[in-house]
Amino acid sequence: MNELFIIIKKELTELLRDRKTIINSILLPTLLIPILMFGGIKISQMIQKSNQEKKVKIGLVNAPDDFKSLVLSDTLNQVTTYDESIDFKTLIDDDTIQTALVFSSDWTARMDSLRSGQIKIYRNGTKDNVNGRVKSMLDVYATKLKSKRIAQLEIPVEKMTPFTENVIEVGEQKELIGKRVGGFIPYIFILTMWGGCLLAAIDLVTGEKERKTIETTLSLPISKFKVLMGKAIVASLLGFIPALLNLIGLVLGLQFIDGIPEVFTSALGEMLNFQSISMILLLLIPFSLFLAGLIIALVAGATSFKEAQSKASPIIILIIIPLVMALMPGIDFTWATVFIPVLNIGLGVKEIMAGTINMGMYSAMLLSLIAFAIAAIYFSYKKFSDENAILK
Amino acid sequence: MIQINNLTKSFTSKSGKGFKKETVTVNAVNEVSFECKPGRIFSLLGPNGAGKTTTLRMIAGIINPTSGSAIVDGVDISQGNDEVKKRIGFLTGSTGLYERLNPDETLDFFGKLYKLPETELKERKEYLFEKLGINEFRKKRMGQMSTGMKQKVSIARTLIHDPEVLIFDEPTSGLDVITADSIIDLIRESKADNKTVIFSSHIMSEVDLLCDDLAIINKGSIIYNDSFDNFKSDMNADNLTQEFINRVKEA
Repeated sequence: MNELFIIIKKELTELLRDRKTIINSILLPTLLIPILMFGGIKISQMIQKSNQEKKVKIGLVNAPDDFKSLVLSDTLNQVTTYDESIDFKTLIDDDTIQTALVFSSDWTARMDSLRSGQIKIYRNGTKDNVNGRVKSMLDVYATKLKSKRIAQLEIPVEKMTPFTENVIEVGEQKELIGKRVGGFIPYIFILTMWGGCLLAAIDLVTGEKERKTIETTLSLPISKFKVLMGKAIVASLLGFIPALLNLIGLVLGLQFIDGIPEVFTSALGEMLNFQSISMILLLLIPFSLFLAGLIIALVAGATSFKEAQSKASPIIILIIIPLVMALMPGIDFTWATVFIPVLNIGLGVKEIMAGTINMGMYSAMLLSLIAFAIAAIYFSYKKFSDENAILK
Repeated sequence: MIQINNLTKSFTSKSGKGFKKETVTVNAVNEVSFECKPGRIFSLLGPNGAGKTTTLRMIAGIINPTSGSAIVDGVDISQGNDEVKKRIGFLTGSTGLYERLNPDETLDFFGKLYKLPETELKERKEYLFEKLGINEFRKKRMGQMSTGMKQKVSIARTLIHDPEVLIFDEPTSGLDVITADSIIDLIRESKADNKTVIFSSHIMSEVDLLCDDLAIINKGSIIYNDSFDNFKSDMNADNLTQEFINRVKEA
């Protein structure tokens, strides 16, 4: 056991003295989520603010006075009145106006006789901000006209309101958000974990070959299994630590970044408690060993960093597909999915965060991940013991 | 003492396209036998690709032989190569050093794995650092060192556990004459300490300086195995290099 610790200490010392490892496995994972959260919030706030401050150039034909004054009440609206319908497509294309509203010529008569009028809207469907603001104006105008007609007809408001809705939420906020957001969280840390394991495993196996130290290591009076275990444990640690830092980054981000909706912050804060984080991390221990073993087995025969990357990188697809499936509606954490690696973590984390995890299924998932980790280590040991591959 | 009997190593490789796969087996080392005695320096010579490194790797327990036996300091390599590794100091061109560690850390790492008691490890390390002139760069990372500095540290890590058997494959390759001389001196000291030394080099002047017994290996088989004195007395060529070339060509 002592020999294994000596190997682990040496491998960790070597890796942590590499600037690439520090950036990819420590700095980036810690800062990634806070940067994404902060950046996302700031960008959406900026877009929203700039949209609100943008002028909207509206062309009007036959517009009634009350509508004109409604439009002009927003000082950002720039109105051009036309006497008749002209080629609005060209005017919108060359940005003279951004939208045109053509009221039917008999609009006032129709309104007076309580009939429906027609408004033709010329618009470019891609200009969401312009179209949204015009839609709001029309909604306000329609509501105003409706109220006027109800008053004119002397109909009691109650008669025009057949029912009112009163929703009583019986699901916990935590469960709702956990199921919706929980699926995205494994995405972040499993991909970070993959990146950490990949870099470390390649450095520890192929890197040793490139630096001509693999034979030095194999000349030591310890078994190849211990050497392999030392490398696998360190590679899995360098996958596990970034995932842990991801979670810490998420907690810190929620704590210190302004602008996150209160309902979201409090629900996520409640979800990311000691128990749920411990349960998630417990799953990640065998999973990181599984990844490390798998990558070491794949890169054992590679002679250069580039070759190792090309051998191991396609596995990322086998990770992303189950993660995407875990986000799909209709795919649940059941006895059928509990034994499928990656998919089970994706679905399991959702349940853990929502507080609805079945402990029997959680234990089965943990055991299956341990079994996969043992199988991957055995597979990598076989490859690592292959003289043709390792001394190539 | 090293006793090698009919040591053979075969490598199998698969080649071919599509579904047609061919398995090719090549004997890199073919029924090699020789003996290295304590207090004597045994030179294993041969051209590139002759099977020297494969033979040395088998003796050092890094790869397993396909057949035959090797007894190193009384331990059969088939009985467990970790025991053999404890008795050997192995240094070849492929045994590089960990670039992100310094000499102090490197020797501590090796010493601990050789299970040296702490005080013995410290004393041995200080002796080797002094002897090889490593003290001035003992805290410098290996990746920042010159070839000569690295080779000195390699020699130190090979000798840290004071092994009974030493395998040196081109230990002075790429070194300046002063560093090379200190290494030759160390090999002589090992001989004086009654160690078993296998020495391989392409520099014939070094072979001439150090060698007591000699084997020439070519295409995986031993083509000469006798004392160096007998080799020199049987020489037809004017110098060692030419005699070596002639014997390899004739084989």
